[in-house]
Amino acid sequence: MKKYMGNKLAIFLFILPALAIFLIFDFIPILQVFAYSFTQWNGLTTPTFTGLENYFRLFQDRVFVTSNKNQLIFAILITVYQMLFATIFAITISDAKMKGRKFLRVAYFIPVILSVTVVCQLWSAILSGQGLLNKLFEAFGSDYTQNWLGDRYKAIYVIAFVNAWQWMGYQFALIVAGIKSISTDYYEAARIDGCTNAGAHRHITIPLLAETYKFCLVISLTGGIKAFTEMNILTGGGPNKSTYTLTYMMYNAAFKKSEYGYGLAAATVMVLECMIVMLVINFIFRDKDQRKEEERSRRKRHAD
Amino acid sequence: MKKKVLSSLICLSMCATMLFGCGNAASEQTTTQDQAPAAETTAAAETPAAEAAETTEATGEKVTLSIYTQYADDDTKVPYDYAVEQLAEAYPNVELNLIVQAQDDGQTLKTLAATGQLPDIYQASTDLINTFRSSNQIMVLNDVAESTGFLEKLYDANKDLAYAEDGNIYAFPFSGQEYVLWYYNKALFAEYNLEVPQTYDDLLNCINVFKENGIVPLALFGQEGWNTAAAFDVIATRYNAGGIKALDEGSASVTDQAYVDAANTMEQLVAAGLYQSDATTTNYDQASQMFLAGEAAMFINGQWYIEDATKALGENVDWMFYPAADAASYEAGKAAFSGGGSASGFAVNPDSPNAALAAEVAEFITEKYCEAKVMYRHNPLVALDTGKEPDSEYPAMMKKLSDTLPSITSTTKFTWGLTNSTFNDAIQSESQGLVSGQFSAAEFIENMADSMQ
Repeated sequence: MKKYMGNKLAIFLFILPALAIFLIFDFIPILQVFAYSFTQWNGLTTPTFTGLENYFRLFQDRVFVTSNKNQLIFAILITVYQMLFATIFAITISDAKMKGRKFLRVAYFIPVILSVTVVCQLWSAILSGQGLLNKLFEAFGSDYTQNWLGDRYKAIYVIAFVNAWQWMGYQFALIVAGIKSISTDYYEAARIDGCTNAGAHRHITIPLLAETYKFCLVISLTGGIKAFTEMNILTGGGPNKSTYTLTYMMYNAAFKKSEYGYGLAAATVMVLECMIVMLVINFIFRDKDQRKEEERSRRKRHAD
Repeated sequence: MKKKVLSSLICLSMCATMLFGCGNAASEQTTTQDQAPAAETTAAAETPAAEAAETTEATGEKVTLSIYTQYADDDTKVPYDYAVEQLAEAYPNVELNLIVQAQDDGQTLKTLAATGQLPDIYQASTDLINTFRSSNQIMVLNDVAESTGFLEKLYDANKDLAYAEDGNIYAFPFSGQEYVLWYYNKALFAEYNLEVPQTYDDLLNCINVFKENGIVPLALFGQEGWNTAAAFDVIATRYNAGGIKALDEGSASVTDQAYVDAANTMEQLVAAGLYQSDATTTNYDQASQMFLAGEAAMFINGQWYIEDATKALGENVDWMFYPAADAASYEAGKAAFSGGGSASGFAVNPDSPNAALAAEVAEFITEKYCEAKVMYRHNPLVALDTGKEPDSEYPAMMKKLSDTLPSITSTTKFTWGLTNSTFNDAIQSESQGLVSGQFSAAEFIENMADSMQ
């Protein structure tokens, strides 16, 4: 293996296809998004350079504020819901004594394999004005019937719940896999030391799942920032754009108003937001060695 | 050493596979690019269009033209099927390859245009015509319109619909002037001893009675922005006959007293419960079902709904003139309708290898669409004078509309006929806000004014 890893040409040739695909389909298009965000362009003709005009317009757009607020609510809600429930369920079914583990494992994962459209149609039927949820309230004599998807303030929470419900199973699967990779020796040692089940999970399971949680956090938060499909199907971004996100702004500007330059300015801001989130997560989850190294170099700088 | 050789061989085979794949795509692209100028030359050389058709017929060569058009309900399926049937007789060598139009605000068509894959014939709205004009992806049809006699067949009232802002013809329109109608269930009004409302006070009374009896006063499909815009327009036209058309053209401002009054009226009606509480998340099927099942007393839709409404409700359905602030305004407003025609219809891809033939076929299909709409959909409001008669008597509502037509002095526009895309986007979303009852009239005016700045 060492010999093989020393072959630079082989390494380069093996990396090349993936690198080429990444450059052609990801990196270059992202650069193009940045470039076109400084232009006025209808997607078909030659773009005209307009400098920062699209950005000035974007920052003054009231929908921009609403979109960012919605993304924040959406990202936080789905992250908390998915990570919390995925952890609880994963730990629960990891207990060998628990009955019905196999059934629950499949049940929690089923929404993930369903199409987003199917899930949204299902929840749309449940949450509509004459839907199942309101009918249930009526059946129990409660007057707590709501316009779940049509409320300008509450709809975003409802949409976030639908997303969190569907994708919780994905994080659940990741955490279950993470728990399985932890050696049982740690738990036995903890039990011998008199640690309770909950204590063992708190002091062993969760710290050893740091890398898994980092990945879960990245997909939840960036997924929240990029949210679009659920809004598009459940509310169409309404009422009056109150469930818009930056992706929806981009879609609306580009495909409804043929203002690709403006839409791509919204997309640029969204990409930057995702990058900032990634950087913050990476900073929080730096490993100990990296932290020590940083500390050492800081001391060295002070000493110099 | 063996391992090195093996790994290098694997790497090389991977690279070769990748290059082969890309190479094929590149060569295909080159072929398409090479063909494009040739196609243009062919299209240009073969004009007038008739020559192209004759050549095709003479050679007996089978030509398949791709067509991107609506094919969703009876109103779109019946005319298309009829046109295909007629085409097989008139142009035996021409076949149509239908690509069903997606309800996506032209997104699919714009993507096809951006990638050079526009169909030979496509249904284009005003917005698409304007966009494709700037990128030269829509054929100028002036000569074809003249040579096929299309212009002579156009009703005088629809002459303007054929021409774009620059005076050229880019699409053959098949729809004539269309109208937003305020439908109502006669049986429900009779059951609760209600007169057809003429003023907003009458309407408020109807709302109260219907709500007390568990009936939705007016079912709106507010998930579709055009329907909420139409709901605002039927009120706005009572204060300014120009309605949303005047705002689109810039001849009026949303801060004008007429529009402020219209927004306030709509806010008041929404607060009283004119629309169902989840109107903004209700789609067409749901709203229509409510109306046809007698769960809703009124409905706002285009005149194309007459056929379906009559089929389901028979004599129990009719349309009313839009209510107004007072009796005098109501009488005066009878001549001003919401809706109108638009410069949209079948357009042709100028880069098509059979552009000239496609243009001729597009004109032929347009004519057949009009015929089918008159004969089988009982809709005389088409762009062309086809000389055809309906296969059965016109429904009573259509007769009433036909009788009213001569007295109509002004129309506005449907959202797909609006030319200012910023205004179009704003009016659809802001009117939805008003319908939701969660945005005030003041917010509506302020946001609309902001958008238009």
